[in-house]
Amino acid sequence: MSSLNRFGQLLRTTTFRLTAVFILIFIVFSVLLLAFITLQSSIIIQRQQAADIDHEITQLQKVESTKGIRALAFAVDRLAAAPGPGIYYLGDANGQMIVGNVNTFPSDVLHEEGSHSFNYDKPPPIDTDSTDLTDPHPAGYAVVQTVSLPSGFILVVGRDVVERRGFTAIIFQGFFAGVIGILVLSILAGAITARRVLRRIDAINATSTTIMTGNLSERIPVTRRNDEFDGLATNLNAMLDRIESLMQGMKEVTDNVAHDLKTPLTRLRNQAEAALRDASGTEAQREALETTISESDKLIRTFNALLMIARAEAGAPSGALSDVDVSAVADDVAELYGPVAEDEGLTLDTKVTAGIHLRANRELLGQALVNLVDNAMKYGKTGEGAGKITVGVREAEGRVLIEVDDNGPGIPVEDRKRVLERFVRLEKSRTEPGSGLGLSLVAAVARLHKGTFRIEDNGPGARAVIDLPAV
Amino acid sequence: MKILLIEDDREAASYLIQALDEAGHVTHHAADGETGYAMASGMDYEVLIVDRMLPRRDGLSIVESLRAENNKTPVLILSALGEVDDRVTGLRAGGDDYLTKPYAFTELLARVEVLARRSSPGEGATSFTVGDLSLDRLSRKVERGGEAILLQPREFRLLEYLMKHAGKVVTRTMLLENVWDYHFDPQTNVIDVHMSRLRSKIDRGFKTPLLQTIRGAGYMIRE
Repeated sequence: MSSLNRFGQLLRTTTFRLTAVFILIFIVFSVLLLAFITLQSSIIIQRQQAADIDHEITQLQKVESTKGIRALAFAVDRLAAAPGPGIYYLGDANGQMIVGNVNTFPSDVLHEEGSHSFNYDKPPPIDTDSTDLTDPHPAGYAVVQTVSLPSGFILVVGRDVVERRGFTAIIFQGFFAGVIGILVLSILAGAITARRVLRRIDAINATSTTIMTGNLSERIPVTRRNDEFDGLATNLNAMLDRIESLMQGMKEVTDNVAHDLKTPLTRLRNQAEAALRDASGTEAQREALETTISESDKLIRTFNALLMIARAEAGAPSGALSDVDVSAVADDVAELYGPVAEDEGLTLDTKVTAGIHLRANRELLGQALVNLVDNAMKYGKTGEGAGKITVGVREAEGRVLIEVDDNGPGIPVEDRKRVLERFVRLEKSRTEPGSGLGLSLVAAVARLHKGTFRIEDNGPGARAVIDLPAV
Repeated sequence: MKILLIEDDREAASYLIQALDEAGHVTHHAADGETGYAMASGMDYEVLIVDRMLPRRDGLSIVESLRAENNKTPVLILSALGEVDDRVTGLRAGGDDYLTKPYAFTELLARVEVLARRSSPGEGATSFTVGDLSLDRLSRKVERGGEAILLQPREFRLLEYLMKHAGKVVTRTMLLENVWDYHFDPQTNVIDVHMSRLRSKIDRGFKTPLLQTIRGAGYMIRE
């Protein structure tokens, strides 16, 4: 990857874009804030200056009334000589300046009492060896107050506002320097963060690429920082685990299907061929055809069970789940199988807490329970005093437990996990009818409802438990 | 009975037509959805058998259109999709029954015959009588030859369903669906055991048995 390309990628990252947006927002707010501050401070300074001017005029009027015009002229002259923005003028009624530091007023300033503001030619500073020789009379802007004294003299006191403007300019300069500094720092920070994010994303992308080329066992590295990327990586890894186990399951199923469906299909074909060859009579042919139909029914049954498992494994659309009275389903199944159990010399009891509800698929839950009862009836009838089956539903610690107990020989600990796999049948002889899919379906149904299925010891016998989270 | 079969698989269709013919029904055939819809809305049939996946127009939309036109001909939907939710959408679209492929012909025939009866009066009857056996749906009393017979609630519903369709074959899956309201595969002979208990209550000690087992198909109650 070229460095330019890399930089472009950096600019396109979400982090970087977010940083840019924040900088923009920051600048807009800063400008607004600055405008506010400037406005406020200029208002305050203006008021302050006006008050100062008023105060000086009062003082000077006092000087004139107590000590006479000479003292006033002296005082004005001293004030005018002091460096600063002060503007002072004392003149006679004819507009002739007596003392002061500004002489060029627009005519109305000297003839009308009150406040005035105007442009004027600023005289060169008196106290410095002026560095500004090129422009000895810089433009000034004055705010003044004109008073006509009882003795007929005209007194003008004011301030040069250009200096106040200089103050505003300083604020602006500071602000721009700040904004530029922040801009540079933010871009830097954004770039660094974006680079870090990019590196983590690159790691995830690299892993995905490896996985896509077929290596499903690859996992995304998880750091110890425990940040959102680690959260993402952990979830993705969990997803990969699930995919891997599904793929594994699928492979097993294909193998199993190949074996367990091909065998009966071959048998089916052989029977049909035998019937075709048999020239002896219709009765034998009829029999062969009936066997063929019952064999194909068995096949369809196995096929349906496989499809049901696949559907349950894939997870049902949420619409397929509804509010189900689990207790009623258990009672239904017990009622359905009660007579069959009795005919086989077994007892089927219920231990059902009434009114337990779940969001569930009623049909699948029913089918799962039927499979469990069917199993208990097949395998729970051998052994001393055996033949007692109990269907139970109870709620415990936020779980709903659906249990089918028998007191037969039970299932050895080492086989308890294996029987949940598809097509696994423990008895080698395979004398009992069955596809070996019953318990796999139960396990798939339990998973569909976000629960688990396990087989426990019932001492003696087996206890099949569908363990589901309560609503 | 006049039946319309809308099915695109020619082989399956010709087999069905022949088998229905042997059972004494006249069957018309449409091989695609549009033709099927035109025939169904233009002619008077007693039962429609509609495949769910058809060329040119799908089965469910045919049923929906017919229902929108207030055509109440009973419909049996055939489908390779057999999940609970598929069945629910099929019935919600206006289908009266739903049969998953592959099916046994006896199953299809039994359902078609029961469906046809549904459109005839007797559905809302408050009592049924078959020979000397009578069932009162309101008082929930069952009598045979003037003698009261005590039935469990489920046995009563079994008998009620059988008597409602007296003279017709009902299959084991139909009983599981209609009496227990489950559509799964019962695996063992559960229904047979329930039926033999019912039989012992209504037929034991009487000269003529009313409840008959139809080999390879199911059960029937008749005189």
